[in-house]
Amino acid sequence: MNGTQEGFRAYEYILFAAAAILTAVICVCLGSVNVPLKSTAEIFRRAILGLDMPKELPASIILTVRLPRVLCVALTGASLSLCGAAMQGLLKNPLADGSTLGVSSGASLGAVIAIAFGISFPSLPFAGTMVMAILFAFISLLIILGLAYRLDFSLSTNTIILIGVIYSMFVSSAMSVIITFASNKLKQITFWTMGSLNGSTYANALALAAAFAIFGGILFIKARELNAFAVGEDNARNIGVDVKRTKLTVLICVSALIGVCVSIGGTIAFVGLVTPHAARFIAGPNHKRLLSASAFAGAIFLMLCDLAARTLLSPLELPIGVVTSLIGAVAFIIIFYRARGKSRGA
Amino acid sequence: MKNTKKLLAVLLAAMMCIAFAACQNTDNGDVTPPADTTAPETTAPVADTAAPEQSADPEPAGITVTDMMGREVTLDAPASKVVALSAGECEIVYALGAGELVVGRGEYCDYPAEVFDVASVKSGSETNIEEIVALEPDVLITSAMDQDQDVIAKIEEAGIKVVECYAQDIEGVYTSIALIGKVIGRDSEAESLIAQMKEGFEQIAANKVEGEKTVYFEVSPLQWGLWTAGKGTFMDEIATMMGLTNCFSDVEGWGEISQEQVIERNPDYIVTISMYYGEGPTPVEEILGREGWGELTAVKNNAVLNLANNELSRPAPRLLDGAKALYDFVTAE
Repeated sequence: MNGTQEGFRAYEYILFAAAAILTAVICVCLGSVNVPLKSTAEIFRRAILGLDMPKELPASIILTVRLPRVLCVALTGASLSLCGAAMQGLLKNPLADGSTLGVSSGASLGAVIAIAFGISFPSLPFAGTMVMAILFAFISLLIILGLAYRLDFSLSTNTIILIGVIYSMFVSSAMSVIITFASNKLKQITFWTMGSLNGSTYANALALAAAFAIFGGILFIKARELNAFAVGEDNARNIGVDVKRTKLTVLICVSALIGVCVSIGGTIAFVGLVTPHAARFIAGPNHKRLLSASAFAGAIFLMLCDLAARTLLSPLELPIGVVTSLIGAVAFIIIFYRARGKSRGA
Repeated sequence: MKNTKKLLAVLLAAMMCIAFAACQNTDNGDVTPPADTTAPETTAPVADTAAPEQSADPEPAGITVTDMMGREVTLDAPASKVVALSAGECEIVYALGAGELVVGRGEYCDYPAEVFDVASVKSGSETNIEEIVALEPDVLITSAMDQDQDVIAKIEEAGIKVVECYAQDIEGVYTSIALIGKVIGRDSEAESLIAQMKEGFEQIAANKVEGEKTVYFEVSPLQWGLWTAGKGTFMDEIATMMGLTNCFSDVEGWGEISQEQVIERNPDYIVTISMYYGEGPTPVEEILGREGWGELTAVKNNAVLNLANNELSRPAPRLLDGAKALYDFVTAE
């Protein structure tokens, strides 16, 4: 550490951004319906120059279905991965992530309540589920961490995972109870919990982008504090970090990001868990670099998973969560064993 | 929750596979009865109800039916107290004018409106045997798709006869109706109901829709991921019958499909079976307003129909109502 340049260097940004953009281009060009590369390019040329779209070009497939979906997926991946990286640093726990901690479950509980009891704001059709998802994500995080602190002040991996699992189970029974009370909306709720990015719109992408810019931005600003936390909470306190405030800020940002993601795409497991670890291999443990790398890696990973979900069984679609979980579960086990091996060796 | 979700997905997938896979099991003729036929030969004459005069018993002979899972069920007399566990079969009982026999219904039975006066019991994976036994029915009528066979065995152990229906196409619905009619002693009603349905469907089939029109069935709206009904579903069968082509006949059963594919296949008609909950745009408005769907023939012609009351998804007589509604809609212009 020479101390001169902690964050990403310009060329690294360009490299990561180029990889993400390349992935996005591939994902827009490939899909369930086979659109020749030439037509795709022509559609974009005309769209950018504002020319009339000839009827024979499948412009609506590319521009109103595929592009917003790829954007939503990329932003969701970046947000979830960023959240994962921040949580892992803050809690000094390699298995922390929205889905393992039960935050995503909490967010979906909020959204299900919003659907079941028809909570909505008249002018903004999806705001009801979004606000409830964010609110419940935050409450869940407080409950889980509160319980974990009481049991085990050091917030060890086992305690957190255990409480996360218990909480997820609790949430799933709570959901069953709600479904019993609102059985007329059973179908809606069932489909919602399965999650889908199939109907992504530019409005969704905009909401995700805004959330990422605001809450992701705050997380980036807190990178230095996260570095201190990654060494240890006492260490952070000793070097003058306002521990309570930092923690609360990070938790609020993480809840908000996860809440927005869940309300738009449903719960997508493992992205936040796996990609930060992959990013750590490339960028190292310094959060100033790790957060950026995680965001890019998350976007790329989820875009590729979504591509697989969209194309493997065409015309059918696989739920994206199935693809991420398949890959994520294997990675999870590897990480868990490595972490255990390390702690035993020490 | 994560696990539940996956489990749910797997279950749903499994259910759909069972429900809509190849229809080799529809008629009861070729199914061999399972091993535990509880030796009925000692208790009742094996003779068919049609010819009881052979019997030495002075009592009116019992009814023996073979249900659609190939199980032989013997009743002393036509059932007078029935629990109908699945929605389609419940509708059949009511359509046979035997609503007063129903002492219990599965919680998702919602048609006709009179069913709501009847005690509701848990069904499907949550079936509660005690709840059913407490109602003291003679017979439990259910769809084999909704029930775990182990649970069926338990209910029979509790002394309640179980008749299972397994209708995967319209022909199968006729079998269900005849079977249920026999069990509750409404054979003639069953016959006339079947005849009425057959006539209705024949009329539709005889006057096919002109031109090569395609239809897209939407089971779940875009917001929750698009699900459609492909081959082996009632919707596909009815569309084909009236000369329409189901856009997604290459999909087996129900499946989640890509939005791109709907736009690419450009259906002439769209049928959504979403319910309207009284807030926001109606299902039809929602489809007409979807971004990127404006160029679809169905959307341009305003040819979107909402059949929101499960007419086209349940193995019940109302399939004909659904078929008629769809037929009237596509022939309206």
